[in-house]
Amino acid sequence: MSVETLETLKLCGIVILLAPLAGAVLAGGLSPVLRGRAHWPAILGVGAAFAAALCVLIHVADAPAGEVVAKIPVYEWIAGGTGSSFNVEFLIDPLTAIMLVTVTGISLLVVIYSRDYMRERGQPERGYERFFAFMALFVFAMSALVLGGNLLLLYLGWEGVGLCSYLLIGFYYGKPSAAAAAKKAFLVNRVGDFGFGLGIFLIYLSFGTLQYDEVFRMVQQGVLAGGEPLTDGRVTAIALLLLCGACGKSAQLPLHVWLPDAMEGPSPVSALIHAATMVTAGVFMVARCGAIFTASATAMAVVAVIGAVTALFAATIALVQTDMKRILAYSTISQLGYMFLGVGVYAADSAIFHLFTHAFFKACLFLGAGSVMHAMGGIIDVRRFGGLRKILPVTFITFLLGSLALAGFPMFSGFFSKDEIIHHALSHHWILGGIGLVTALLTAFYTFRMVFLAFFGPQRVPERVHAHESGGWMLVALIALAIGAVGAGYVGVGPKPFHEFLAPVFAHTFVANNPVTSHGHAAGHAGFWAEYGLMVVSGGLVIIAILAAYVLYVRQPWIPALVKASFPGAHRVLWNKYYVDELYDEGLIEPARTSGRACVGADDFVIDGVLWLITMVPRSLAYLLQTLQSGALQGYAVTMLAAAAIIGMLIL
Amino acid sequence: MTATTANLLYLVFAFGGAGVYFLLPRGGRSNPIVGAILGLSTLVALLIVLGVGVIAPSPTTGCFYVLATIALFAAVRVVTHSRPVYSALYFVLVVVAVAALLLLQHAEFLAVALIIIYAGAILVTYLFVIMLAHAGGSSTYDRRAREPLLAVLAGFALMAAIAGRAGDLPAGQSPESARLAADVAYSSVFPDSNTMAIGATVMTKYVVALEIGGVLLLIAMVGAIALSRKQIPRGERPKPRVIGEIGKEVPPY
Amino acid sequence: MPGTSEYIVLGSILFALGLVGFVSRRNLIVMFLSTEVMFQGVIVNVVAFGRLHENLDGQAFALFLLVIAAVEAGLALGLVVLLHRRKSTLDSEAWATMRG
Repeated sequence: MSVETLETLKLCGIVILLAPLAGAVLAGGLSPVLRGRAHWPAILGVGAAFAAALCVLIHVADAPAGEVVAKIPVYEWIAGGTGSSFNVEFLIDPLTAIMLVTVTGISLLVVIYSRDYMRERGQPERGYERFFAFMALFVFAMSALVLGGNLLLLYLGWEGVGLCSYLLIGFYYGKPSAAAAAKKAFLVNRVGDFGFGLGIFLIYLSFGTLQYDEVFRMVQQGVLAGGEPLTDGRVTAIALLLLCGACGKSAQLPLHVWLPDAMEGPSPVSALIHAATMVTAGVFMVARCGAIFTASATAMAVVAVIGAVTALFAATIALVQTDMKRILAYSTISQLGYMFLGVGVYAADSAIFHLFTHAFFKACLFLGAGSVMHAMGGIIDVRRFGGLRKILPVTFITFLLGSLALAGFPMFSGFFSKDEIIHHALSHHWILGGIGLVTALLTAFYTFRMVFLAFFGPQRVPERVHAHESGGWMLVALIALAIGAVGAGYVGVGPKPFHEFLAPVFAHTFVANNPVTSHGHAAGHAGFWAEYGLMVVSGGLVIIAILAAYVLYVRQPWIPALVKASFPGAHRVLWNKYYVDELYDEGLIEPARTSGRACVGADDFVIDGVLWLITMVPRSLAYLLQTLQSGALQGYAVTMLAAAAIIGMLIL
Repeated sequence: MTATTANLLYLVFAFGGAGVYFLLPRGGRSNPIVGAILGLSTLVALLIVLGVGVIAPSPTTGCFYVLATIALFAAVRVVTHSRPVYSALYFVLVVVAVAALLLLQHAEFLAVALIIIYAGAILVTYLFVIMLAHAGGSSTYDRRAREPLLAVLAGFALMAAIAGRAGDLPAGQSPESARLAADVAYSSVFPDSNTMAIGATVMTKYVVALEIGGVLLLIAMVGAIALSRKQIPRGERPKPRVIGEIGKEVPPY
Repeated sequence: MPGTSEYIVLGSILFALGLVGFVSRRNLIVMFLSTEVMFQGVIVNVVAFGRLHENLDGQAFALFLLVIAAVEAGLALGLVVLLHRRKSTLDSEAWATMRG
């Protein structure tokens, strides 16, 4: 890249980082002045970041082939001794560009949407300024995570999104459940981040640096910093530790428990967390560190298996939930499982593609759910309302489009991206592909179960609710996202420009190390028919599932009840989300509490007892002496007098 | 004074201590008659012991012993009387006796100042306070001393420690004629009147102390006013302003 | 003609009597009266010593003692009034809040 381009990219990167940060500071700092206008700093900041991200994308796309990776140092951040200093530096390549555009674009729409959502009857809600300040801060943290040129900056952004998610999930901190959900999200993320931090330490120990390019170069050469060979065990350990962090952030088994509870935050927050920021961080990190992951076949297998199992696991739970946002949350976990599956089967470009399309339709769905919730006066349980398509026409249409995309209905964005992942998974191992197909079927079914329950059937709204369509700002965002949900997939079909664009990033990692293609396996070179045949099969499965949902939930609503009654055990297990929370309670929290109580007991009786015994000596002495402490002045005077008399007799 | 005199003095002090002990108000158990007998005999004994060395009693010596007797008797009454008003009045007697003793020592200005300041100012203040605080008569706490035995023992031990060594002083051993000569010499050191001499001393040698004393008096005046002025009762604390109860609003969504 | 030692003995007796009164009487006013008695003893002593050394320092010192006595009396009586207002008693044992 030319020097001018690098300068432009540097400027863009700085704008992407600082504009949302400035927006956050202004929205928070000027709150007494801005009040109901506090959304402006956030919108402008995120908007500027989006514009800069587009600029980055254009420049990267314009760059000549082979020169698409730009490493831009900004300033020395931490000056350590003996050359171990860390810079604030940007790594800009097609992956970064796409992530930036996705993150800032979706965030911008979400922030615009929030302008009306965070109001009640036209009046800003309590904490309006706080909300927008945190939203902008969230975008800042995520941008830092994506843009950073070393693992330390990634970690900064990583913890930043963790913090912002905590702040925003607990936005209604007066509500105990919201406070608990925020704490849970933070703590579960800490578990993952602990592993992630250890992984970074191990990388630093092994390679003496945290810069991406140097670390990756050394991994690919198979050497450590000192020149010793890099063992398989070490690289697998690094990869698995990093994966631990990814599982926490991206809500993969077994650290997925925080995401469904994160619904306690306002709906735009959910949209932001699920679509643009936070959860995609894990996928991004695995794709970014592809060199490390692909160096260990074990780690890749673990990634793939975790992804597949999570996808299926979450989809089954979503089948029986009744809270719209909770269904969407489990669908997010499931879709993230797809992404991990994609990365795990060496199809990182497909995973990022799915991340990209998923961002649109998931944001659309969450904002649609928020719109429904807004209209229903805060009620989100699909059992309590129905037939809303007449009352909320715009929301209905956009929600339907988002659902079709999520379900993977042919010719919608989700269809293309998901299909690719399933295709790669099948070529890798038939079980992984099979799980992908089954999950696709379940996804379509539960998505449309939700759609039919909420928008079809006889019109029902909760009592004392004046249902109404949402305000203009919300609809603008919804429509824009719905268009994206329909059309985003077309960047990755036909000649596949999306994949072409990303290809240089993954050429030396995922593509080069793919055992299927590199060994000339038959399924690796999927022919026209293999690919399109799969499309037909999965499209057919999706249509069948949607039809089944229609029959079950609109035409013959007694069947689900019958099924539920027939398999009470299975329903209970699914309803209680496989008892994972309870398992953690019993397995981890209760033992911790018990040991804590034991420690308190030990402290109270053993340590305090010993201390009590020790203090008894001076205490008993003091007990004898305290009779002298009469409190009356004259008592002291007598003592003084007697002492003076004795001294006088002695010396005179 | 000889060693025998000193030992006799210790004995006399012991008697005096016992007398004061019995004289101190000790509720129903006090024995003022025993105390009075003991006290008076102590005074007589003291006169005898001190007067042993006196060969030719002069008028000055007689005045000294009479005044000393009065001062000691009054001081005992100040300390032991169960009614504060009488204590105060006996204290006036102490002051007068001491002033006369000062006259004997050629300290005329000091004697007059003592009378004016003590009897005229301080004692009047005391009497005012007694009237303010006391409706009259004696209270329970006036009729019961605290730890009289310990106090008497400690007090008279200290006194013995001081007074027992008084005999070592040079003037105590010199004959009467020498004392008289010394007295004349002392008077001749200051040819001016005593008042003028003291004035000169204070205004030259002790001028800083004098200024400090003035400041001290001023501070004491301010302090006394601040202490005894009417205390304004603190009003009820205003209720804290309610700014908004956190978490009261249930979020609509 | 009584010598210095007689005055010293007299002064120390007065001082000791005042001390005994101070530590054994419970009435705040009488306690302070006792301190005045102690002052008298000190004055007698100081003047006698001045005479012994044939200068006026003792008398000047006694003068300052008078000042101190006046100051003490003023403040002490102010305090007595204050304390009496608080507890309506002059009993010094009412003020034993520091009792161990």
